[in-house]
Amino acid sequence: MFDFLSEHGAGLCGASHLKRREFLQVGALSALGLSLPQYMAAKEAGAVRPGHDENACILLFNLGGPSHVDLWDMKPDAPAEVRGPFRPISTKAPDIQISEVLPLHAKIADQFSLVRSCHHDGAAVHDAGWQMLQTGRRFTGGVQTPHMGAVVSHLLGQKGDLPPFVVLPELMGRGGGNLPNGQAGGFLGKAHDPFALMADPSKPNFKVPDLLPPDMIGAVRMERRQRMREVVEGAVKQFEASEDARLMNENFHAAFQLMTSEKARNAFDLSKEPESVRDRYGRNRFGQSCLLARRLVEGGVRFVTVNTFLTVFGETTWDIHGSKPFTSIDGMKNVVCPLYDQAYSALIEDLQQRGLLKKTMVAALSEFGRTPKVNPAGGRDHWPQCFTVSFAGGGVKGGRVIGKSDPVGGFPAERPVLPGDLVATIFHSLGLDHESFLPGPSGRPFPLVDLGRAPIRELFT
Amino acid sequence: MRRLPLLPVLCSAFVIPVALFANAATLSPSSPPQLVAPEGGWNFQRHILPILTKAGCNTGGCHGALAGKGGFRLSLSAYDPDADYMSITRDALGRRVETGDPLHSLLLTKPTSAAPHKGGRRLDPRSEDYRILAEWIAAGAAGPQKNDPKLERIEVLPNKLALQKGAKTRFQVRAHYAGGLVEDVTHWAKFTSTDETMLRISDPNGGVEVTGYGEGAVTAWFSSRIVLARIVSPFPEASHTPESASSPAKESHPGQGKEWQERNLIDKAVNAQLRQLHLVPSPETEDASFLRRARIDATGTLPSPEETRAFLADTNPKKREVLIERLLNSPEYNDYWTNRWADLLLISGAHLRPDATKAYSQWLHSEVEKNTPWDQLVKHVLTAKGGSLEQGETNFYAVHQEPEAMAENVSQAFMGLSINCAKCHNHPLEKWTNDQYYAFANLFAQVRAKGWGGDTRSGDGKRTLYTVPNGELIQPRTGRPQPAAPLDAPIVPSGDGVDRREALAEWLTAPSNPYFTRAVVNRVWAAFFGIGIVNAVDDLRASNPATNEGLLDSLTAFLVKEKYDLKALMRLIMQSATYGRSSEPTAGNKEDSRYFARYYPRRLMAEVLSDSISGVTGVPDLFSEIQLQDGSSEKTTFYPKGFRAIQLYDSAVKSYFLKTFGRNQREITCDCERSNQPSVVQALHLSNGTTLNDKLAAKEGAISELLAQQKPDSDIIEEAFLKCLSRGPKAQEKSAYETLLKAVAPEEKRAAIEDMFWALLTSREFLFQH
Repeated sequence: MFDFLSEHGAGLCGASHLKRREFLQVGALSALGLSLPQYMAAKEAGAVRPGHDENACILLFNLGGPSHVDLWDMKPDAPAEVRGPFRPISTKAPDIQISEVLPLHAKIADQFSLVRSCHHDGAAVHDAGWQMLQTGRRFTGGVQTPHMGAVVSHLLGQKGDLPPFVVLPELMGRGGGNLPNGQAGGFLGKAHDPFALMADPSKPNFKVPDLLPPDMIGAVRMERRQRMREVVEGAVKQFEASEDARLMNENFHAAFQLMTSEKARNAFDLSKEPESVRDRYGRNRFGQSCLLARRLVEGGVRFVTVNTFLTVFGETTWDIHGSKPFTSIDGMKNVVCPLYDQAYSALIEDLQQRGLLKKTMVAALSEFGRTPKVNPAGGRDHWPQCFTVSFAGGGVKGGRVIGKSDPVGGFPAERPVLPGDLVATIFHSLGLDHESFLPGPSGRPFPLVDLGRAPIRELFT
Repeated sequence: MRRLPLLPVLCSAFVIPVALFANAATLSPSSPPQLVAPEGGWNFQRHILPILTKAGCNTGGCHGALAGKGGFRLSLSAYDPDADYMSITRDALGRRVETGDPLHSLLLTKPTSAAPHKGGRRLDPRSEDYRILAEWIAAGAAGPQKNDPKLERIEVLPNKLALQKGAKTRFQVRAHYAGGLVEDVTHWAKFTSTDETMLRISDPNGGVEVTGYGEGAVTAWFSSRIVLARIVSPFPEASHTPESASSPAKESHPGQGKEWQERNLIDKAVNAQLRQLHLVPSPETEDASFLRRARIDATGTLPSPEETRAFLADTNPKKREVLIERLLNSPEYNDYWTNRWADLLLISGAHLRPDATKAYSQWLHSEVEKNTPWDQLVKHVLTAKGGSLEQGETNFYAVHQEPEAMAENVSQAFMGLSINCAKCHNHPLEKWTNDQYYAFANLFAQVRAKGWGGDTRSGDGKRTLYTVPNGELIQPRTGRPQPAAPLDAPIVPSGDGVDRREALAEWLTAPSNPYFTRAVVNRVWAAFFGIGIVNAVDDLRASNPATNEGLLDSLTAFLVKEKYDLKALMRLIMQSATYGRSSEPTAGNKEDSRYFARYYPRRLMAEVLSDSISGVTGVPDLFSEIQLQDGSSEKTTFYPKGFRAIQLYDSAVKSYFLKTFGRNQREITCDCERSNQPSVVQALHLSNGTTLNDKLAAKEGAISELLAQQKPDSDIIEEAFLKCLSRGPKAQEKSAYETLLKAVAPEEKRAAIEDMFWALLTSREFLFQH
């Protein structure tokens, strides 16, 4: 597309300028986390199991905390104030019953498995759960642990021209607890932060914002701009010790790489999808984000987080406290469930039809579940003591239920599972050894998950 | 059945002689001596509850949950001893303690997993704690007594020491009770590191290992009290490394050179810490760099080329002081600081109607212009009354219409304290109790306004705020009103004509309030240095210490002495040698990231960056729409052409650029809502987006004017550098650009100059404060 090898502007004295190929190498090696020696070292140290290089993970993060008792872990025999307004229905999997508000899930229940005994001991605020479910740990002592995608970025690096770790459609917003939400590189450094789309892919004529230069900036000007920028960016000493400043430079390299890669632009181009496929996922922000996630995984992205919602305030979400500014149980039934049911089932079916499901884990996590008892507003409040998550693909056998909650869904009754176990499960699917180490703060070795946490191996057998 | 272990002969008191611990650093990390019961036996509040707390029984995830767990409920971190005693000795048919058969008490069989326990094994039957619980039960399981001595304070020994990386030490925690009783409670204290990058708790009985460099703290918790011990771990001495032999720091005697100069109390406190940490400050920054830095931090604007030339040519040795004075008294100062404080006061059209938003913002602007002392400004906000359009400050209450939210935001904004947790239970990280929360919130229970209720954005935004003589907030735990009182302060009398907020305002802004002054000092400091002395600036809880306590203390005293004149504080900061340091790291400080041995670069904040691009290109932005919370937008005619981003009344004004560069959304009181972090999306927008490209290509603007003057390339390059980077080009930069510009055909000239501006405006030197 651009002729970067033209002799235009030759004779530049003193300034170092990069030819495209060199430039891309710089970008690839430093900007987006591809660090070949690191990857080789990780492989040699046994941190990465062979044969998993094509594996990927799509994490659907259910912001707000879905009501396990109303959706995936129904208690039809419990008193009315516990069982709520919905009835269970049978599914394609003999062992799974699921709520009537998720009819499309029922049709593909042989593809996913549920873990009904999740719990955590963090505070019952959204942000605490976001940290724990995305990094496997609560932040303490000023140490921010990295998101799973950042760990993948650090250990496996970039594959092709696309970043290794992407967040769709936007980063999570605020959760009310003033805490960081665990969606960044943490102590691994900002170079492993995700590429966040920050746009709504369901909007008509959706494009990645600013992916292409305006028409007036052709190849000649593009190259001149890069050369001129190199002149002032040469060696600026005050930025050497600033992580933010190094990151800004790497961001420019990464941006340039995205702009100039046909493959990268293609992966983000939803207009290449037939209308019927786009309809199948649902013409809404979450549905189209799921479709985009599939395209990105095909394009080589290793970890995609799709946030079902952007915040829990002023939006209709899983956060069904019952009254404003939160969501009512009807809001969940009429708005949230239909769009989630449609997009989830579409994603699983689509991945399966394309032969991608085997190598792509789809994990649906949330920060907590909801109180077993319906509250006076007809909703349910935060409940980290027990909740349900689901896994499909990436080696997981579907149609099964792991763990069990007590008769009202208040606490795990069998096989309690902690956030670290869920994170270890995802690492396992990606071929990472959960017992290997990351370089932690001050060079202290930091295990991928806390001691004692381990993958839910039953899911894979 | 098994027999109880034989009790050792009791010694008289449980007081440890002080001398033994005078130098705790030398204590060996061995296990503590066997604990013996004090006179009067084991005490429920002093010993039994701390054992349960340390074992984690009463945490929020276990029996401390609001609903308890498994039918057994304890108060969170033992904040309600009477209820805990009932629960332990009377509920569950008394099976939790069996004084006749102590070892069959559920209190012992459950946590040791002798009986099924969902919480797993929390207590070793061979442990001291097990023995103590058993002895207490065997002795009759006495409960809280009226004459139990009250815990007055706890202390940790030693409370400050210097250690090398790799060293280990051990701390002792002592509880001081009324009547002079002192007990060693190390065994039941909970230890946490405030900075795990340099300090690690190596054993739960007070053992700590130093794993990095810097100044950090260990917090010890006992009985809802908290105390800190600080540890200084010096950086490796750079002066011994050959690398630094050529650095300027080495040329002078360490600690004596020009870079160590002390102009005021800031430099004294900063340098003292740097010496302890073996860090060497960077030298003073150059004039051009200081001009740009000071202008950005004081006013949010860049210097013009004329201003830069004049400043560089000025031979007055006091020119930096003259500059500081001019900046602090400029109209741009008022715009910039109105915007900064508006983040704190949540001025956003997403929550208020346009006229109310404007009135709120304009009120703040006039206060900033008058340089109203901070305590007075806060008082005006707290005691606001009247019409929302006439008395703009009343809108502070319109954003949060419930007493609880008002209390939480007042605490967060003006004291940097989050009290939200105490709404449901005693604060787990702080001393605030559930009762104190409701007492504090009840101060706002009599605030009313005509037109409140429903959506804050409904109607025309005209409201009248007043207080009523009755109206109480109910404490849900007791079902009764909690008498209104500020935190840690006596109850406020109520009655006709009393506005409780008056008492609150007096208490809040009193110099004796330990949080109020610190909070604003820290916020102002962070605005000038990019990071606070306490981080984050919204987190001033006791367990989150300052990186330099001495510095924060002396600045706090200074602001009190200056009667809360914020400009005096800013002047002091800007005049300090610390603020004037170069941002270039030296061998002696390249590891430093928080002790202010040099100036730390940071990306310009969204509004400043946007205005700077508009300023350089001479093409202003147009702000014409407000983004509402439901995703829709509405037109606004408030902002004529030329209105700068920093002047906007409101954080809901639509702008892709401002959103992408992380402006504060002003949804909650938290500096974390603003992000100055770079991203790929920002790089894409600067490269390909309309904001910068359209301005560069605009027919009317700075580039057209520059070209119309028909100047030689070298002059154009000079001007471009001064405009964008506030400095002239270096020789090799100039010749590189001359070569590139010479190579283009005449019809390409304009495009090439645009490209040069693009390069300068996307360079980090432009995008960053440094």
